[in-house]
Amino acid sequence: MTVTNDIRSAAGTSAPQVRRWIRQRQIAANGRVEPTTVYSVLLALAMAVALVGQPALALVWPAGSSSSVSAPATVGLALLGFYGVLRQLGPVVVGRGDATWLLTAPVPRRTLSAPAFLLTVTAAVLVGVLAGVAVAGHAATRPVSPAQLLTTVAGGCAATFALACAAVRAQRTRAAARIFDTAGSLAAAALLAALVGAQVVPEPSPQPSLPATTPTTLVVSLAAGIAAAIGLARAWAGVDRWPIHRIIEASAITCAYADVVYAAEPSFLSELSTRRFWRNRTGIRTSGLLRRRGIPPLLAQDLLLVRRKAGRLPWLAALAAAPAALADGPLWALIMLFLLGAMAAAGLCGEPTHSDAANPSMVRLMGLSRRQVAVQRLVMPSLLAASWAALAMAGLQVAGVLSGPWWILGVATGPAAALAAMQRARASASSIGSTLIETPFGAFPSGMLLWLVNGIDVLAVLTLPVMVAVTSSRELAWHAVLAQAAVSALGGLVLWISTGRRPV
Amino acid sequence: MSAGVLGSTQAVVVDSLRVSYGSVTVLDGFSLRLPEGSACAVTGENGVGKSTLLRCVAGLQEPTDGIVTVFAEQPGRTVGFWRQVATTVESPSWYQGLTVREHLDLVRLANGCDPNDGRIEELTDTLGLAGLADALPGTLSSGQRQRFLLAATLVRPSRLLVLDEPEQRLDHAVKREVAACLRSYVTSGGTLLMASHDDDFLGAVGADRVVLGGSR
Repeated sequence: MTVTNDIRSAAGTSAPQVRRWIRQRQIAANGRVEPTTVYSVLLALAMAVALVGQPALALVWPAGSSSSVSAPATVGLALLGFYGVLRQLGPVVVGRGDATWLLTAPVPRRTLSAPAFLLTVTAAVLVGVLAGVAVAGHAATRPVSPAQLLTTVAGGCAATFALACAAVRAQRTRAAARIFDTAGSLAAAALLAALVGAQVVPEPSPQPSLPATTPTTLVVSLAAGIAAAIGLARAWAGVDRWPIHRIIEASAITCAYADVVYAAEPSFLSELSTRRFWRNRTGIRTSGLLRRRGIPPLLAQDLLLVRRKAGRLPWLAALAAAPAALADGPLWALIMLFLLGAMAAAGLCGEPTHSDAANPSMVRLMGLSRRQVAVQRLVMPSLLAASWAALAMAGLQVAGVLSGPWWILGVATGPAAALAAMQRARASASSIGSTLIETPFGAFPSGMLLWLVNGIDVLAVLTLPVMVAVTSSRELAWHAVLAQAAVSALGGLVLWISTGRRPV
Repeated sequence: MSAGVLGSTQAVVVDSLRVSYGSVTVLDGFSLRLPEGSACAVTGENGVGKSTLLRCVAGLQEPTDGIVTVFAEQPGRTVGFWRQVATTVESPSWYQGLTVREHLDLVRLANGCDPNDGRIEELTDTLGLAGLADALPGTLSSGQRQRFLLAATLVRPSRLLVLDEPEQRLDHAVKREVAACLRSYVTSGGTLLMASHDDDFLGAVGADRVVLGGSR
């Protein structure tokens, strides 16, 4: 039976009313929020402030202004990071329940997505204020006047509202997404280049770079902030005319992120990101590379993957400049950045390893041993990590942080980083630890903690020579290269022995 | 319960198999002899242990009690086993970023065969996958995915096929082609053990039936 005379328009249905009805039923079934939960959240916030409040404050508002392009460029990168996060999360999303039951019902989407809108605006204000304060703290002449602070804060908020508006429009249409994402990438590359440039060619006597505030600049900043906020509100207002899949897809992704937090299973994230990446890839044609004689099949597969992810290679190459750009920081941070960067480069083709670990049915179908799989899967990540590490070391040489052909040590580090990346790709949080750890905030599985350090432990052990070499001298010691090469080879040998000839 | 033809080399021997999930016993004292070059289809209602039996034969599940051997060795212990046995019992998996054709190339290459010898083309034509060579498996429909999975299983050399409801989600035309492929596999000396609910399909394959759950 079809009833047509009761069809109502979306505008005639009240989303808050529907949501209130659902909330009442949920409260009836599950009860209200537990006081212990509120206590745990407040305690977590207090502990976070106590632990990282002081260093974070010093980062945003240092003792004296530091001038140069470094601070504004870093703030610019942070703002682009904010745009990246918004693009990853939606930002126009609804909860999983709402996506299933209400999004397809005649309920106005604007009110349905109101919580996400409020969250986006709150985040934009917070990030904008922090960015404005950081720019004033780093680049303005001390003492900073209230007008100057207000100008930079308004400018920061204008930037974050504009970025949020761009993210909303990018979610709406693919063409806008292409334009804004490309512009964001180019801006990030330019800012990174400026950071590296500031390291390579240091300013002789840095001076505060922010000009003094005039009434005009203050008014312009405030007007820009208001205009950007209106632009964001208008972009969001059109959500009722959006194709529904744009909201459903973003909602599914955001809910999966929530699952990651709830289930403490971060490997969901990499799987999600991988699936999304390949789903959006078009124009893939079958390659003859696999059929070419002389290349082991799994190595050919990795080569093919890298070829199909060629768009990420310039980014990897650009990120190799990051250690040089942040050379003024503490040495431990520099080493960490270098090693984690090499591991990340090796992880570019880590998907098959993760896939085989999660479900080895394809490897069984291929009738390969664990050793055959491990050896073939190690080659390409080693090459990538070695190239990245060599580039990063060369950057540090050019920046004058290190002296001598350190890039050779970078090459020797490659296989060690690849082994660590392989170890990381194999494990999911649930597979490496399900013991519950009791804390004042409640119990959570140990797998989460173990997953965070998974692979990094292998990296730390297998790259000891490079760590010692960088901390002990600016000049390259050849015995360090030999030691690193030997440790990398030892890591490979351990893999060879441990995998054996057993099936997966 | 037993089935099979005595007198020839046994591909699969199941003896007094018992499998329990907690307090529920799914298979109890089940026995089966499957000679090389024969086809056997396990049938029965949902939950009688068809997939469990196949998983035990493929070495993917440890029985609670009893003995399972495949080509006179314990299943799933060596790489040699997986060189001889191809199965669709596991939940399907594929590599992100590789096309359907590249998966088939990979499976054939890894098994030491030539991917250019025409076998892949023959099979993809038969299973209606020829137009999907450039598709990523994640973008296939459930029926296409089933065809892709069967193609990946049949494209490699094997002595024993362990298939869990291969006719699932297939349209009638492809079902007939799959049945013909399986019949030809058995005729050429391969051994087939499968679970199925489709009597017509079993008839087309020409498999002996073993009904599970009759004694319970």
